[in-house]
Amino acid sequence: MGEGAELTQIIEGCKSGYADSFAQLVDIYAGRCYGYFYRLTGDRDLSEELLSELFMKLVEKIASYKGGAFESWLFRIAANIFHDHLRARQRRNKLLDARRTELETAPTGWQKSDETDVKIDRLQSHLDRLDGDTRELIMLRFYSELSFKEIAALRSEPIGTALSKLHRGLKKLRELMEG
Amino acid sequence: MKHRNENDDLSALFERFVPSSNAEECAEEIRTADGLLRAHPAPQPRPEIIVGIKLAMAERLAERHRRPHPFFRFVGAAAAVIVVALIGILGRGPQSHPEVSHAALIPTAIWESDDLASDDHDIAYFASEIRQIETRMRALEAGDGEVEAVATLDEVEMELMRINTAFWKE
Repeated sequence: MGEGAELTQIIEGCKSGYADSFAQLVDIYAGRCYGYFYRLTGDRDLSEELLSELFMKLVEKIASYKGGAFESWLFRIAANIFHDHLRARQRRNKLLDARRTELETAPTGWQKSDETDVKIDRLQSHLDRLDGDTRELIMLRFYSELSFKEIAALRSEPIGTALSKLHRGLKKLRELMEG
Repeated sequence: MKHRNENDDLSALFERFVPSSNAEECAEEIRTADGLLRAHPAPQPRPEIIVGIKLAMAERLAERHRRPHPFFRFVGAAAAVIVVALIGILGRGPQSHPEVSHAALIPTAIWESDDLASDDHDIAYFASEIRQIETRMRALEAGDGEVEAVATLDEVEMELMRINTAFWKE
């Protein structure tokens, strides 16, 4: 059976409410989705929380998947979860007014939990120096493995804009890594 | 493993936006950067987290199976509305035809009872319950939001069942 047909069968199983089918989806996509969240947040614990939220949302929303690239649908939900997290953090930061200075002096706002346990690689530190939108675009393309056309549609922006942003972002990242 | 988006013809894509002499160079820059990302893989989620996610998903699915289907909830709520509306109509009866409506609502045990004080008390209680339900129905008709309405309808339905059971036990 082809990869696409196998995935279709798994998704059908999920729509019928089979836990085994959902478990298979987790096996297929957990690594990539976790990588996406991790590269955007730089925080292992937070990435695990977001990953868990993503798959729980999948249980609720799978019936609304009407075909097309599954990765596109999945990573759209992942991107929304990440944006919700950013918004919630912004609200939290406002509430924690007294601690604002402390929070603002953190490298880029990304919380690094348990750094003794997590070796922050060079790539992660350089990624933090890119603007949020470009970083998100790079990670979306890398981890979702979607084509430019699909990415442009997912982000509701012209393909030329996505291409140009990605090109500039990756070029800057490469210079940072080589510098 | 080959990425699905490696099938993108980057040079052709760039040719649509930059001079063709630069297109291949831009495409090559992206391919190089892709290699850089592959050379620095992100960590993988901990196995226990994956197990936890699978368990939580299975639990959520089991919960959904236990919950009544929204259709049955709707049917229940609709039945409650009809019953309550009927009671409301009968409850308004006393103003014009008190004997007829009370005869229809009051169980034989109370109707034939000699303990007038106790029966009056019961009737007053049931009448006030019915008035409360009527008030709630009017509030629902005014529309306070679908979700709230369904929850309230459930409550009304439960209350109605409780009253009905208590009433006929008398």
